Amino acid sequence: MPKLYRSREGQVTAVDTKSQLATLGSETAPGPLLVPSAAKNLEAIICAFATDASVVADGSFLVRLEGPGLPEGPETIVIGSQGVSTATGGHGSRTAMRFELDIPITPANEILIFAENVGEDVGTATVGVTLEFTV
Amino acid sequence: MSRTISVEGDVNAIDTRVLLTGQGSVTTPSLVVPAGMKKIVKIIATACTDGLAAGEVVFFLRLGGNAVLNGEQVIMFGGEDSQTVQAGSDSAPSLGSIFALNDADIAVASSDTISIAAEMAGVDVGDATVAITLVYGK
Repeated sequence: MPKLYRSREGQVTAVDTKSQLATLGSETAPGPLLVPSAAKNLEAIICAFATDASVVADGSFLVRLEGPGLPEGPETIVIGSQGVSTATGGHGSRTAMRFELDIPITPANEILIFAENVGEDVGTATVGVTLEFTV
Repeated sequence: MSRTISVEGDVNAIDTRVLLTGQGSVTTPSLVVPAGMKKIVKIIATACTDGLAAGEVVFFLRLGGNAVLNGEQVIMFGGEDSQTVQAGSDSAPSLGSIFALNDADIAVASSDTISIAAEMAGVDVGDATVAITLVYGK
């Protein structure tokens, strides 16, 4: 069966703070992320993130999925971590990661995507999340 | 049987949709889905930046056009960050990593045209090159 992919991205600028991912690059107001009407379940999420590594610190990142599109309630997934020993120059590259899930969904309802920096504050991060739905 | 198409392009500004239409020495490869192909079975994506600005971005792919049967599909595939204090021989390289999405299973119409675009979102890190391979299957 074909799959459908829906994405959002946004910035996380403070530790232990839930930040909603509500934009999509050139689409500054893509609106609510609705579960496609034909979708049967949330099969996986694909996550990418990067930080400016501007602080000598170490922290992890997690994604929170919430909203009426998730009949069983919110979900939380750890997506990676970041640490640097010096904040005086560097360059990092990260591939996206796919996390296989099997989460029930309610079609035509909204899923809210949040990202959060936990542990120590590692600076500013940009996080992108793709929801992979099966039809 | 599978078929492939690879495209690349420069993404030099954040929050800007860039159509990937080149293929190195082939400046205008065909973006028509090969006859008989029914879906995209795999996506391979990579990006790297020159790191000439301090920031952090994520990269994502937009698959659209008449060939994509269920509308535009948007998929994250990587991230890059840079600090610009580094200089000269201290400069760290940007080693773009590869993301492979197996069993992508995106329905397409054969003999129709696909649109492959990429964007970076976040805080500008400089210029980027993005390269994408789609693997079609039946």
